[in-house]
Amino acid sequence: MQPASREFSGMNNNINPLLNHHHGGQFDPATPHDDFLEQMLSSVPSSAASYNWSDDHAPPQLEEQSLSSKMRQHQISSGAATAKALMFQQQLLLSRSLAAGNGGADGGSGLLPMPHGDHSDLIDGNSFKSINPANDASIEALLNGLTGSLGQTSNQSQHFHHPHNFGSAGAAAAPAMNHPAASGGGAAGQPRQRVRARRGQATDPHSIAERLRRERIAERMKALQELVPNANKTDKASMLDEIIDYVKFLQLQVKVLSMSRLGGAAAAAPPVTDISSQGKSGNGIQTASSSNNSDGMTVTENQVAKLMEEDMGSAMQYLQGKGLCLMPISLATAISTATSHSRNPLAGGGGPTSPSISALTVHSASIGGGEPSPKDGGPVFNSKR
Amino acid sequence: MTDHKNHQIPTAKPSSIKTRFAIKFLRAMNKLNNKNKNNKNTMSEKHKRFLAIRAAAHASMASAVGPRRAWSRAVLRKIPNQQKQLHYSLMNKQRTRRRNIRRNRILLITRGNPNRENYDHEENEDEDEEEEDLRELVPGGKEMDFCRLLNETAHYIKCLRTQVQVMTNILHHSSPSNILYK
Repeated sequence: MQPASREFSGMNNNINPLLNHHHGGQFDPATPHDDFLEQMLSSVPSSAASYNWSDDHAPPQLEEQSLSSKMRQHQISSGAATAKALMFQQQLLLSRSLAAGNGGADGGSGLLPMPHGDHSDLIDGNSFKSINPANDASIEALLNGLTGSLGQTSNQSQHFHHPHNFGSAGAAAAPAMNHPAASGGGAAGQPRQRVRARRGQATDPHSIAERLRRERIAERMKALQELVPNANKTDKASMLDEIIDYVKFLQLQVKVLSMSRLGGAAAAAPPVTDISSQGKSGNGIQTASSSNNSDGMTVTENQVAKLMEEDMGSAMQYLQGKGLCLMPISLATAISTATSHSRNPLAGGGGPTSPSISALTVHSASIGGGEPSPKDGGPVFNSKR
Repeated sequence: MTDHKNHQIPTAKPSSIKTRFAIKFLRAMNKLNNKNKNNKNTMSEKHKRFLAIRAAAHASMASAVGPRRAWSRAVLRKIPNQQKQLHYSLMNKQRTRRRNIRRNRILLITRGNPNRENYDHEENEDEDEEEEDLRELVPGGKEMDFCRLLNETAHYIKCLRTQVQVMTNILHHSSPSNILYK
């Protein structure tokens, strides 16, 4: 019922919105009904093609047939005049919802050339019973509702009674329907057949472009998922978040690397140490004492070692309070190398002695620079252990 | 750091982005080091140097990629280097004009689509913030439509990765090896 109500709510004067909203859910094509349905359906498109949609008689007449939803699906998937298929569906839904013996005037619509008996085997028993007069009233009501929402006058409903009353044979009804339908289907079918839309896709150029765009976006999101680690695959939004975070992370890495080549981290030393300790996971974190301040340093060292056991964060804060920082070995070496190269007279040469000397030089340099703020990443600890 | 060229360049295909970037970056570093012979080593100087190095990294990455990608073009545009700008403009004047015309048309179709709002109003709202973030992150991302933005982001991520790899390798090779971790 829900699809019916949805479709009806979406119906406007245009056929187009009908097409747009008619996405036809997940009908199950694999049923024993299929062969019969296909047979029936194959007879439909040929006649449908010639229908003239401008004549409003056609849609209501379709209502008479209560085909199963699968038939609808086949109709639509066969790419026949989709508007007509839509009408089929809605009417079918309506008539099915009645759950009464709606006889779609089987022959009447020209869609069901076979007698009732065959139908009932293959399709829902409800759908294919002979037309009961009792049902006519309800069908009428349906028709009225249908026509009303379609923007058709109620005059049409009377017109529909004729095929109604024909009964199962409905051969007369068939031509009756065909004629008006023919006039209606052709005009509307032609522009629509130009843009052969598949089931569930609208013919509106805007929405086609929109769909193409969405498909492209989906493709690219998939490609991005492979690039970015932690591919959730669940949600577009969370995927976007991941991507953004990853790009930020990479950019930060580049920043860190370019800082490490200098000697003396410029901006934000604590993040530098954090991230470099993540990125270079093999590094040990060194603490060292330079020969000048060995006493002070050892005390600090012990403190820091204690704190590190409990909580890295507090250790870092303690160091920052002193104007010191921790950093991985390779970063420290890079820095010390840089500074030792820049201070050739002080550094005895490369090799094991340079780091400690350069630690001194860096230390004195930063002190001499008069910038003891922790943000500047103070003196560098290098170790010899 | 003056003897970078003698160190190993990370082994890769001879003309891959990696090697192109590595070569350009090393050259840029050499230039920087040669310029900066009078080392003041104050924090501001260091900061400037850091900025210069990072800019050099981005610029050499972009020029290694070439003007094929929108983001690399955007980065190249920002370089105050006249030669590069000339190069870029000569190469791509016509191409970009044609592309822009095409792109504008597409933008008109997709963005000016009145039905769009009917379809996925919620989706658009959710995506828009992140979309904007992404646009800020990726160079040149502000003038692209979303589809293209995703494309560029994918390529940008690849290039950032190679950048990080190459720079890390350079860093490791330039440090005294006996202190390096293994």
